[in-house]
Amino acid sequence: MPRYLLTRLWQSAITLILASIVVFVGVRQLPGDAALAMAGEEASPERLAEIRMQLGLDQPLVGQYATFVGNMLRGDFGASTRTGTPVTELVAATLPVTLWLAAYALIVAIFVGVMLGVLAERFRGRWPEWIANGLALIGLSVPNFWLGILAILYLAVTLRLFPASGYTPMGQDPLGSIRSLTLPAIILGTSLAAVIMRQTRASMIETMKTDYVRTARAKGLGSGRVLFRYGLRNSLIVVVTIVGLQLGGLISGAVVTERIFALPGFGKLTLDAVFTRDYPVIQAVVLIITVGYILINLAVDVLYSVINPRIRVGGGS
Amino acid sequence: MRQSSPRSFPRKPRVLGRRIWAPVLAIGLVVITAACQQVQVAPETARSADVTSALIGDRTIREGGDLVMALSAEPDRLDPTTSSSLYTRYVMQTICQKLFDIDASGAVVPQLATALPTTSADGLTVTIPVMAGAVFADGTPFNADAVKQTIERGLTLAGSSRRSELGPITAVNALDATTVEITYSRPFAPLTAALADRAGMIMSPTALASAGAGFGDNPVCVGPFKFAERVPQTSITVERDPLYYDAGNVHLDRITYRIISDSNIRAANLRSGDVQIADTISTQDIGALSQEPGIGILQVGSLGYQAVTFNVGNTAGVGSPVGTIDTPLATSKAIRQAFSMSVDRQALVSSVFSNYADVACSPISPSSPYSTPASEACPAFDPVAARAMLVDSGVTIPFPVTMQVSNSPDTIRFAQALQASVAASGFELSISPIEYSTLLDVQTRGDFASLQLGWSGRVDPHGNMFNFLSTGGGNNYSGYSNPAVDALLTEASQTTDVPARAELYGKAITIVQEDNPVVYLYRQRSLTAYSTQIAGVETFADGVVHLSGAAFVEAK
Repeated sequence: MPRYLLTRLWQSAITLILASIVVFVGVRQLPGDAALAMAGEEASPERLAEIRMQLGLDQPLVGQYATFVGNMLRGDFGASTRTGTPVTELVAATLPVTLWLAAYALIVAIFVGVMLGVLAERFRGRWPEWIANGLALIGLSVPNFWLGILAILYLAVTLRLFPASGYTPMGQDPLGSIRSLTLPAIILGTSLAAVIMRQTRASMIETMKTDYVRTARAKGLGSGRVLFRYGLRNSLIVVVTIVGLQLGGLISGAVVTERIFALPGFGKLTLDAVFTRDYPVIQAVVLIITVGYILINLAVDVLYSVINPRIRVGGGS
Repeated sequence: MRQSSPRSFPRKPRVLGRRIWAPVLAIGLVVITAACQQVQVAPETARSADVTSALIGDRTIREGGDLVMALSAEPDRLDPTTSSSLYTRYVMQTICQKLFDIDASGAVVPQLATALPTTSADGLTVTIPVMAGAVFADGTPFNADAVKQTIERGLTLAGSSRRSELGPITAVNALDATTVEITYSRPFAPLTAALADRAGMIMSPTALASAGAGFGDNPVCVGPFKFAERVPQTSITVERDPLYYDAGNVHLDRITYRIISDSNIRAANLRSGDVQIADTISTQDIGALSQEPGIGILQVGSLGYQAVTFNVGNTAGVGSPVGTIDTPLATSKAIRQAFSMSVDRQALVSSVFSNYADVACSPISPSSPYSTPASEACPAFDPVAARAMLVDSGVTIPFPVTMQVSNSPDTIRFAQALQASVAASGFELSISPIEYSTLLDVQTRGDFASLQLGWSGRVDPHGNMFNFLSTGGGNNYSGYSNPAVDALLTEASQTTDVPARAELYGKAITIVQEDNPVVYLYRQRSLTAYSTQIAGVETFADGVVHLSGAAFVEAK
């Protein structure tokens, strides 16, 4: 086991190094550079040269990479070229917003999706199912940004139920935080709710045909108990799998949602950094995401090997 | 079991039918909603008038309160020496006063200076009297020595964006506590206008000594407000400065600049009351907003311009020697002139921007003191003559022109309207939309035949012309070179008499309109929407929204 773990750690380190090279070289291949984005319309050759010298962009790429890695190993990810804020500060400020938004959206999506799925199965061929199907269709086909603007217009501007934009940190005002993220979470969770609804409905239809459900009914159990305890509980396996697969989509969907609702999240940070060619921020963001994926994969692999020792064979033992 | 039951079987086709109706109904609703969008076509003659201020007048002020302004982009570092973002000026305007400012008419007026500068007969020495008794937000006294340190920082700091704006300065001296003397190696007329912008924002010597290059993280100046907090990506907050020399006329406790990049969302936040003022309202929203109760609109013409730049000699990037581009568009003045004559500027401004923009034919705004009949002259819209000119040039009609534009919706809409406008004269305009930073790169490298971009504008025409039109200028993206224009622009920069300078700029513009390396099209209007709960807001030709004297007021 320790040898397997060491091998996986070694592989992860290689992946991380490769990812750092790819992102480092990749961002520098984008048309325009940080100097041009910083100078904006005031870009003159002299000014551009001066900014490039200040940022070290006039150095050979290998030298720039060595400096970047050296600083990173000391925990220094640099500072935003645009605002001068340390990248670690930016990440620490924005990552919790996105995680909180994604978690809230996930809760909304699971609750709405599962409820509608159960409703659709329970009332198959009747109006509740048509409504549920219609909502799922809208959820899947209407783009988030449009739905977001409609929600702002009607729920924030007309009815004044929620703030139209902005974010209140949880530590500052828990209720205000929930209120500030409710609209974004509903919008972000809409398409996932639609997917969950369809999967729940399909899975429930299959489950409700099984022998054990028929047996439960034959024993005289109430329809509600059969539906939720036998039907839904067994259908949730598929739903959990789908949720796992869609989680990445939820995080990437947060980019658009954060922009619409002016939320200071990780997605908005990434997008703004790309548009302003803010190299230190782009590099840090991509590397953090990479480390996240590597750690999750590593944890899963290790867990697999614990559950099923035969997997270790593949690890070289 | 259910599917085989005699009751459920006949219901299936009906269910399917209704399932089909659900999406059809949804699509129908979407189409109807889209069709109900208001299309505004303004009459061509209607020109929007400037509304530069929402005065407090006789309304009762409610002292205190926190005002929230929606800003369309995040400011860069809050350092007057290095900043290159217009949005930084919005925030700095409340915390960092300048030696000079501009007023509603666009004229330069004293702010921390007590009078306009005086220039020696040879034009080489400029003397500026500055205020006595003011203090910076950290308690440091404001005096001529602080002015000297700020100007010297602009000249020497690595990464300074102010160096070229300040001109060929040889020395800055504080003659006494209230007099600054600046010496030049050759006369430099645009100094006063430069000191009415970021170069003239005076920074606390104490803060500069302690923060150095990190001054922008916690800027300290003389102003009605002082810096309080910056939340990255989110907001910047400033609070009332009790040490300000005119603190009695400051009414708000705090101003928060919240960054909301989407114009629709800015408008929605204004409507919902989450913000009280929003900048850069889209011309698509402004008509509806102006009709709503409780919302007021400020609008003022810009000092900048939007134009099509033709690449006539930028072969190796800006700053490199002018090269030769062997294409009819680059070599033929007549083709470019035909293009300029084929543009119906007034119709474009009316149809695309509902008249919330102004026609532009030169780099000098009509509101500038340097505007003359020559600088305001506009090529006549004459598609027939333009077509004849194109035919005479010996090119095949339709004549293809590729134009690169940024991928913002407003720009693309304008480009499409321009495409339709020039088609009648025989130009086949292809639009190539690309991301803004990429477009800047393309422009700098000279990798274009033509492109559409703008310039935010400066108070002094030198800032709108010299670098763009003189040979080897830092912003001469077209690679244009004409010795006559070079001579006129250089002479204008060294002439201190306003009418004489204006005449020189007018002559240069006449030549540029014959050569057409840049075809000027329109000027955006700075559109600001505010809640009528507030008053005392102003916006002038530099596009900056002034909130120093703003206050919450009782309803009328």
